[in-house]
Amino acid sequence: MKTITEQNLRALVDALISDGKRVVGPRVAGTMTLYEPLTGGAELALGELPRRSAKETFLPLCETILTYEQGKEAVHLGDVDPVRLPETVLIGARPCDVAAAPVLDAVFSWDYRDEFFLERRRKTTIIGLACTGGDDACFCTAMGLSPADSTGSDLFLTPLKGGSFRCDAITDKGTALLAAHAGLFADGTGEPLPLAEPALGALDLEKIRAWLDGHFEDPLWEEIAARCAGCGACAFLCPACHCFDIVDEGGTAKGARRKSWDACGFGKFTNHASGHNPRDVQPQRYRNRIMHKFKYYVDKFDQRLCTGCGRCIRACPVGIDIAAVLEEINDK
Amino acid sequence: MCDHKNIYLPQLATIEAIIDETPDIRTFRLVFQDEAVRDTFSFRAGQFAEYSAFGAGESTFCIASAPTRAGSIECCFRAVGRVTEALRQLEVGDTVGVRGPYGNSFPIEEFFGKNLVFVAGGIALPPLRTLIWQCLDWREKFGEITIVYGARTEADLVYKRELEEWEQRSDVLLVKTVDPGGNGSTWDGKVGFVPNVLEEAAPAAANSIALVCGPPIMIKFTLPVLERLGFADEAIYTTLENRMKCGIGKCGRCNVGNVYVCKDGPVFTAAQVKAMPQEF
Repeated sequence: MKTITEQNLRALVDALISDGKRVVGPRVAGTMTLYEPLTGGAELALGELPRRSAKETFLPLCETILTYEQGKEAVHLGDVDPVRLPETVLIGARPCDVAAAPVLDAVFSWDYRDEFFLERRRKTTIIGLACTGGDDACFCTAMGLSPADSTGSDLFLTPLKGGSFRCDAITDKGTALLAAHAGLFADGTGEPLPLAEPALGALDLEKIRAWLDGHFEDPLWEEIAARCAGCGACAFLCPACHCFDIVDEGGTAKGARRKSWDACGFGKFTNHASGHNPRDVQPQRYRNRIMHKFKYYVDKFDQRLCTGCGRCIRACPVGIDIAAVLEEINDK
Repeated sequence: MCDHKNIYLPQLATIEAIIDETPDIRTFRLVFQDEAVRDTFSFRAGQFAEYSAFGAGESTFCIASAPTRAGSIECCFRAVGRVTEALRQLEVGDTVGVRGPYGNSFPIEEFFGKNLVFVAGGIALPPLRTLIWQCLDWREKFGEITIVYGARTEADLVYKRELEEWEQRSDVLLVKTVDPGGNGSTWDGKVGFVPNVLEEAAPAAANSIALVCGPPIMIKFTLPVLERLGFADEAIYTTLENRMKCGIGKCGRCNVGNVYVCKDGPVFTAAQVKAMPQEF
């Protein structure tokens, strides 16, 4: 068994940065912890679940997909080459964040391949971290995951009593990283710290899917979502929500076309040019959110768009609790 | 030089001609600037594209010209938003972006040997016009061709010159109509809503396919008429016009239940539409 001390973990960050890699990990930013590019190992802050998910590593909030310059005679398009993206190491990411990455591979690689996402995925090595924290909003276990789930990780760290970490290489990428920095790791053993214990137990996800299949029209949607403010916080904080818009920014003469996060909770998301809106009230939009996560995506890609991180629950300004909704459906 | 494929990168096309169909609906005839693209671009009737006005963004319209007529493509749009307003400002010789073709198409081979009944309302003629022209170019492969087309007023009819051409052909029956009050003193067509005029025209359902495009309200009232005329749901085709953005099954905007309109559609039979959650 390989282990690494906290000091050497920070040294690993420094070494990776010295190697020219972009290292993204939890760091204290103002009053909160966020996954952000680190400038050194000293910044690594593993104490709490970052406020936003780690999906920005692969799906930036806003990214340029082309540039344009438009003159009287011609338009010149500038391609954006994701191959130029730097090799990245995402370190200290919680299982609920890491597990979303392979889920998103499905939508970005079926048929047309979105290389902006996929190249970031290829270029990123993920060092996951077993979760010893958590709070009442966590429900990863209800989603079939666990605080010690290494799904999506290349290398997985388990905090041990005494401050060091057990290191398990999960993929070839993880093995390579371990080998490249072998001097920072040691052979050893240790007792794991107690894992987080999400409050919500197991749910019958197949039963929930079957219920959704037959209850497109149900009073539940109105009951839950009449108070939804349509603020989109749930989607923006979610590690698995991936809906986006494409917008031109700049003037007519010169600018960039950008892909940026969007949310099915927004009122204009499905608004037609004619003014007709197929989902013109909030309960319809919330229903789509739940259906997309627990039925549509499952039907299409055999994956759920939820890893139980609980961020949508913590952030919802009107207290809508997706875990409670699932529990209610589960108990029907 | 990029060695990857940027699926969001459009081709550039020059506006070769602009035709004002109505006071607010305009047709562009577009020629790809890249010679290789011009020579190889192909599509099937019913497919759509994303059209760029650089600086404003992209907008989704069907490819309105016939796949049988190579060299250029046409799109038809009403100026209602930021992108379409920007497109409207463009002139002959200006450049637009075209990304596509996307989506499924009308299964024209399955229509061989059958009678075709086209039913369209207002600006929804373009998705059928592509198929109408393909069928007329392959006229011997089909039985009777009936076109029922209506708009609010005479002025709102698109492709007026083609309506005249179809009217004059002996191998096409065109029934044109305008809403009550939408007719001028010289109007020589019907006066009445499309579903009513269709019922009155009563095309035979036997060995026939109906192709319906129009505003949701027109489709809603047309499907029962076709049913009364004896058309099975499997013999009725329509296109869903959901808001799309990426066009390629990524952005999560156009779904109706499990169906991604941009990938699984936009062409569906009435049977498929009825099986979907009624959210379109």
